[in-house]
Amino acid sequence: MNFLELVLCGIAIYTVFSIIRVLLGPSIWDRLLCLNVVSAKIIMAIVLLSVISNQDYLLDIALIYAFLGFLGTVLIARFIEKRGD
Amino acid sequence: MIFLWLGRFFIIFSMIFMLIGIIGLFRFKDFYLRILISAKIETVGLLAMLIGLIILSGVSFASLKILLIGLVLMFTNPLASHAIARSARVNGYLSPWEKIDD
Repeated sequence: MNFLELVLCGIAIYTVFSIIRVLLGPSIWDRLLCLNVVSAKIIMAIVLLSVISNQDYLLDIALIYAFLGFLGTVLIARFIEKRGD
Repeated sequence: MIFLWLGRFFIIFSMIFMLIGIIGLFRFKDFYLRILISAKIETVGLLAMLIGLIILSGVSFASLKILLIGLVLMFTNPLASHAIARSARVNGYLSPWEKIDD
């Protein structure tokens, strides 16, 4: 259990709290905001995992996930702007 | 040896920032206050973690990729938070205080 694995467990705990906040969020925008927070944490976990296991291809996955997460967030934000009209 | 501790310092710094972000997520009672968490504090935590990992993984192709991810996220994270805030404002989602004023 070296230092980086401990940090990975810490990130997992933070992600659980963020997901709880997603479920609690009163409005749709709260949920979308905390979803953005969760996806930022997932990217951190992927990069950390790739450093622990010394596999470079995981970093490409994290990069693509960063772009897709951003794109998805912006599109959903535009969609719920007019309540889905 | 110094690089090892410097990298770990950055990672611990980013863990502290994420802890502050999580506490802020639960303590802020209003949506428009929580945007700060997603836009700034998460981005700082992210960048600190990535810088720490770059220092830990030394000069290699992987650290160049981590730097690229850090750069991408430094721009896209606040942008996404802005898009969410804008869609909430345009839709007319008023925070409790504003309901009294209007």
